[in-house]
Amino acid sequence: MAQDSDVGANTKSAVPGALPVNLTINKKSYSIAVDPRTSLLDCIRENLTITGTKKGCDHGQCGACTVLVNGRRINSCLTLAIMHDGDEITTVEGLGSVENLHPLQEAFVECDAYQCGYCTSGQLMSAAALLTENCGHKDEDVREAMSGNICRCGAYANIVSAIQSVRTKS
Amino acid sequence: MSDNKEQKGKEPASKNVGTTALAEPKLTSVGHETRRIDGPLKVTGSAVYTSDHNFPNMVYAVPVGATISNGKITKLETSEAEKMPGVHAIFHRENIGQLYRVAPDTDFSAYTDEPRPAFEDDIIRHFGQYVAVAIADTFEQATAAAHAVKVTYAEDKPNVSAALTADTPVKVESKRGDAEGAFAKAPIKIDETYSTPTETHNVIELHATVAVFDGTNFTLYETTQGVVNHKNVLVQVLGVQPENVKVISKFLGSGFGSKISPWSHCAIAAGAARKLNRPVKLVLSRKQSFHSVGHRPRTQQHVRIGAEPNGRLVSIQQDYMNHTSMLDDYKENCGECTSYLYSVPNLKLTASLSRRNIGTPTSMRGPGAVPGLFATESAMDELAVKLKMDPVQLRILNEPQIDEGLNIPFASRHLIGCYKQGADLFGWSQRDPRVGSMKRDGLTLGWGTAGASWIAERFPASVMVQLHDDGTARVASATQDIGTGTYTVFAQVVGDKLGIPLNKVDVVLGDTSLPSGPLSGGSMGIASIIPATSKAIEQAVGTVLLAAVKTPSSKYFNAKKDELALTNGRVHRKDQYSKDGVPFEEILKIANLNNVSGSGSSASTFGQKKQQSFHSYGAHFVEVTWQEELARLRISRVVTVIDAGKIMNPKTGRNQIEGAIVMGIGMALFEGTEYEPTKGAPLNSSLADYIVTVNADMPKLDVHFLEVPNTELNEYGARGIGEIGLAGMAPAIANAVYHATGIRVRNLPIRIEDLLTEQA
Repeated sequence: MAQDSDVGANTKSAVPGALPVNLTINKKSYSIAVDPRTSLLDCIRENLTITGTKKGCDHGQCGACTVLVNGRRINSCLTLAIMHDGDEITTVEGLGSVENLHPLQEAFVECDAYQCGYCTSGQLMSAAALLTENCGHKDEDVREAMSGNICRCGAYANIVSAIQSVRTKS
Repeated sequence: MSDNKEQKGKEPASKNVGTTALAEPKLTSVGHETRRIDGPLKVTGSAVYTSDHNFPNMVYAVPVGATISNGKITKLETSEAEKMPGVHAIFHRENIGQLYRVAPDTDFSAYTDEPRPAFEDDIIRHFGQYVAVAIADTFEQATAAAHAVKVTYAEDKPNVSAALTADTPVKVESKRGDAEGAFAKAPIKIDETYSTPTETHNVIELHATVAVFDGTNFTLYETTQGVVNHKNVLVQVLGVQPENVKVISKFLGSGFGSKISPWSHCAIAAGAARKLNRPVKLVLSRKQSFHSVGHRPRTQQHVRIGAEPNGRLVSIQQDYMNHTSMLDDYKENCGECTSYLYSVPNLKLTASLSRRNIGTPTSMRGPGAVPGLFATESAMDELAVKLKMDPVQLRILNEPQIDEGLNIPFASRHLIGCYKQGADLFGWSQRDPRVGSMKRDGLTLGWGTAGASWIAERFPASVMVQLHDDGTARVASATQDIGTGTYTVFAQVVGDKLGIPLNKVDVVLGDTSLPSGPLSGGSMGIASIIPATSKAIEQAVGTVLLAAVKTPSSKYFNAKKDELALTNGRVHRKDQYSKDGVPFEEILKIANLNNVSGSGSSASTFGQKKQQSFHSYGAHFVEVTWQEELARLRISRVVTVIDAGKIMNPKTGRNQIEGAIVMGIGMALFEGTEYEPTKGAPLNSSLADYIVTVNADMPKLDVHFLEVPNTELNEYGARGIGEIGLAGMAPAIANAVYHATGIRVRNLPIRIEDLLTEQA
């Protein structure tokens, strides 16, 4: 599964009109200047090269870019980076690591709650938020609460199983 | 990759070198529920997709698309855009450098549905056709610059009409007996036209290219279902040598056919990188994904079936057409399954194309079969209704003994087995055939069924396997895992053959510097890679055994190679059990070998003359609930039984079929790209307006496999299952909707207004 490691930094030249913003992402602080037009999603992915969060539509319609902002799930493509000065942001990288998977990540692997994996980061962040939300116990409650996250591969049944297995345990 | 659950199985799937080794239980995960080896990468955001690549000095490309769909560019003004902050260039026909056409291809080695490169001329043939590209330091700057490019057009009226007409000669695709004559005389007739809409793949990973050019060599990070094909196409388009292009696709956010071959944006990114000598990232927008990266074309199918009153078919005619683009002849082969699905003495299938000002269509999951079966399996249901016969019975009655289209025997066909098991699991015997007669909790139930079929074939494949002195094995091939689980099945095969756990198998894919592997298309990946992997392992194991007998300090020094075998990761004498042998890595260590390798290749079966007719089959049983007072239609339950041979990994295999059912629900109830007639633009070009199935739409799913292996394609008897689950799903739903409502919807998707207006 060797991957090229050149996901690395994109050394951007200074952008005219950039504004300063302080973001805390996965408990790490970043003080950067961003183009005011930059979405939170593009700031995370392109400016900070934290690429686990994905872009699927850029219009808040697919959920692939879901992150937690101060504990609440949002579509990071629908908000501008400069609006999040001082905010605490959690991306999929902040949930757990390959060596130390979060119970949801573990459950997604066990339940095969993905296929291509592209929507998975967003599904996981929605699921992480769902655990803290006032969501009913039934599968259909979870399905409703997860319906902002499209999985074109159609692993929905397994996504629900994964989330329910974590909720049952906790 | 350490957390895979290995299970000890007793299947004799592992063939040892030589033939007389003692029988003993072998470590294998083949056929067992196995976690994906790439799972931990996918759930942690560590799997690297195309647009995740960032490089120093990288710039962003945003294409400018035509805002008309028929006409000519008369003026392209770029000066304002060029002056904007951060902009490096606005490239277009005059300045991107030569981009060439792709030569006609016959064997999927350098295949594209759209041979015209970007910017070839000033003629606009479909909405969104690329006319320029803005390159800037950031995505925001490039987007702003793309908007500032001013294009003037001489505009003609476009033709995007959904009423298809035969604009190319009508071609007979298959013929036997006298279908017209038999139909004219048939006592029972079905004569209806069915249509399926333009469907856009809408893979969640946006199409993208990150192109790196070092002055001589291109490294193209692509999202592709075929790295080798992609490279071979780009070599031609860029007019460079094969050794100067490398294509990487380690992970991709699925394809469903839209990433089978490169689209014109790939060469735009590469051409820009060549001009600027900088890495270029180009990610299409969701809107652009509706324009120039393929779609399943609209189909219109006139189906005529003649039958005896006892249900015996006497004739089938299917005259189908699909739209294609102005330049390319993409045929949606709707008759794919028709010639062999039923026993019928008289049959005629014809095809023609309708030219439209729409981007070039391409394969979408189960091309041909999927829309084709919507028509023919709906028509069979209509026939069952007319005959007052159970639809399963009708199919059993017309089950053929041989492939009557090719007049050859079936290699493996268990369609009736699928129907029987599915009917049992579903409780089909409880079905009251009267429309709207079945009720539950105040809802009307509809029960429908339809059959599925898909080809069973192999692409050519080459694989290299290395056994390392740390006890690991590395398997490498230039194929890719589009989400179907190729990484994992590769590891399972190697693990099975060597008898080592999956965490000791490293699978390397998605890189054209590896031995040439198959396209991930046509559900052929699994069947294709197994024989080549097997041969590669045999060769590598042979070398280990040779080292064992030739190395003086080896326990087996001076033994005969033929007396040895490798089982459960250990070299041993065939007359002893593997536990008495030596781990292969010990042999390598004492011989001071870092690794030994083996290579294997296997040939294509696709497009070759057949001795036997080989397909996969399946049957779907669907329950819908219909709440007439609210016009609320829901799918509540699906039972699917699939006959696709050995299932290498039931965990990922079931997921494939479930995912296809999900897409089938979308096809039946939601999906359809609509073109606006004056400008020819796709109107619903977003995921808010092009509706796909979401989690809340999910019915209860019950998927089973018959698992009757046929080893013609490979020793396990495994075949691909990526597409078969979508085949037959939409007609099963439409048939259930008829049973609930009495309304036969022949034009997908089934809309609430179809169920309202016809009732009024």
